[in-house]
Amino acid sequence: MTDFIKPTKRNKEITKPALWQLVLIALFLFYMLVPIISTYVFSVATRWDRTILPEGLTLEFYQKAFQVSYFSITLRNSLILAISAVLTSLIIIVPTVYWVHTHIPNSKSLLEILMILPFGIPTVVLALALVQAYNGTIISRSPFLLIGAVVIYSMPFMYRPVSNALHAIDANTLTEAGQCLGANSFQILTKIIIPNIIPGILSGSLLVFSTVFAEFTLTTLIVGAGFKTFPLLLVEFTRINGNIAAAFSVISFTIAWLVSILILWIGSKGQGITSEALRAH
Amino acid sequence: MPFQNHYRNITKKWFGLLPFLFFCLSFEFIPILFLLRGSFIDKSTNQFTINHFLDMGRPLYIRSFWNSILLSGLTAIIGVIFGTFIGYAIYRWPSERLRQILITLSDVTTNFAGAPLAFAFIIILGMNGVITQFIMKYFNIGLYPNFSIYSFSGLILAYVYFQLPLMVLTIIPAFSGIKKEWQESANSLGANSFQFWRHIGLPVLFPSLIAGLTLLFANAFGAYATAYTLVESQLSLVTLQIGFMIAGEVRHDPGIGMAMAILSLIIMGLSIGIYQLTTKRASRWLKT
Repeated sequence: MTDFIKPTKRNKEITKPALWQLVLIALFLFYMLVPIISTYVFSVATRWDRTILPEGLTLEFYQKAFQVSYFSITLRNSLILAISAVLTSLIIIVPTVYWVHTHIPNSKSLLEILMILPFGIPTVVLALALVQAYNGTIISRSPFLLIGAVVIYSMPFMYRPVSNALHAIDANTLTEAGQCLGANSFQILTKIIIPNIIPGILSGSLLVFSTVFAEFTLTTLIVGAGFKTFPLLLVEFTRINGNIAAAFSVISFTIAWLVSILILWIGSKGQGITSEALRAH
Repeated sequence: MPFQNHYRNITKKWFGLLPFLFFCLSFEFIPILFLLRGSFIDKSTNQFTINHFLDMGRPLYIRSFWNSILLSGLTAIIGVIFGTFIGYAIYRWPSERLRQILITLSDVTTNFAGAPLAFAFIIILGMNGVITQFIMKYFNIGLYPNFSIYSFSGLILAYVYFQLPLMVLTIIPAFSGIKKEWQESANSLGANSFQFWRHIGLPVLFPSLIAGLTLLFANAFGAYATAYTLVESQLSLVTLQIGFMIAGEVRHDPGIGMAMAILSLIIMGLSIGIYQLTTKRASRWLKT
């Protein structure tokens, strides 16, 4: 009798979340979403400092935000910085990770340490080190030094997805197959390996892109006003005009969301490709 | 001949690493060695000195380190406690779809640090913030001047915002180390839920909790943009002080900034080191 009842009771437990779960998740969502939603609402509110709900809605601040003289320049600078960082990162990291995986696999853990190390360096410390070391040289406080800095800083973001993608494919067998057919290392990398790890490369590139696009510390401390990027403009406006700052924040949130969705989409596509490949075997 | 061949092969193997190593040396290791050297050099005499490190005993620097350690420690502890419970709530949530959404949300929000996050908190908890007014109107409690988003308490709220989801992401994989069968066997042996967690669950989770604590500590210790936007110079933190020195806003001996930087690298290195060790221990339970 009891044995007969038990399974149904258990099924119910499995399909319905417990009260404590509901409460915790609701509080978590409240904490995570209220600041973001408030920023979105604030950017379209006429006035929102006397009442609980905004007094009216307007797109005026977006119009003003687009008219800010530095707006397009900072957006362009941020794009240049992010794209240069992605390209540099691709050129330096992808061949290195591939090379270590296939030619010196016993130094994989050394590579892992080198690639993850930047996580342990506070950005201000990296900025100070670079400013001091390159003081008086031709790239001192220049965007070129900044690109070097952001590539170091975003290295773990490129490394992880690329390394995971290389693990997922059988890079060694593919390399040997290529060698048997007379291809050189460069051909193997560009014609066989890269097309096979494209989802990992894209995820890494997007992660680097969004990290560098939102980067504030290194930019302000290494070049500052000489190469003003979008996050610098945003911080400047938090002290000048809150409504326009909110509009800028919304733009930066939206870019972050879009990139995240794109990464997720690529991730699910990538999984589709591997599972299809497995089925074919 | 074969020896030479072997030798050539080894050089060829390491040759592939050169561009990457060159890049890391130029933009990471050599500059940090410069920093280390600079922290021990007296600028006017060019002689070896440990004065910059002795200067760390001055009230301003003691306060900066104390504030930074307290802020990172408190937000790490808050993040670990609440993040673990929230992580467990997500892990045991029945709908796969919502689990995925919550994990993605954590992934995005933990990277929302910096100026936009700081500004969002000014909007809700600033002097005329949405929540500040709400509490004033419906509970008749004035948050200000006891609380201020531009102070230490405000920084805690803003930091926990990115610490909490980071802990959620760190701890969820650890729960899969606690096998369902263990709970069932414990139950059938007469253990209640508290006894199960006290004697089995917590010991298994323990390395992951310590790993989370050190990861969160390092994460907060190195943060700059959020603090810069919120408190600027009203509160001294290690990263803010180093930032002021680079920007030339305070006229100090650069050696002092370098000594601060070296000390923070040591603090970060210790926490990341403990993180690595405990993660290795934690992964023991994940192997089946």
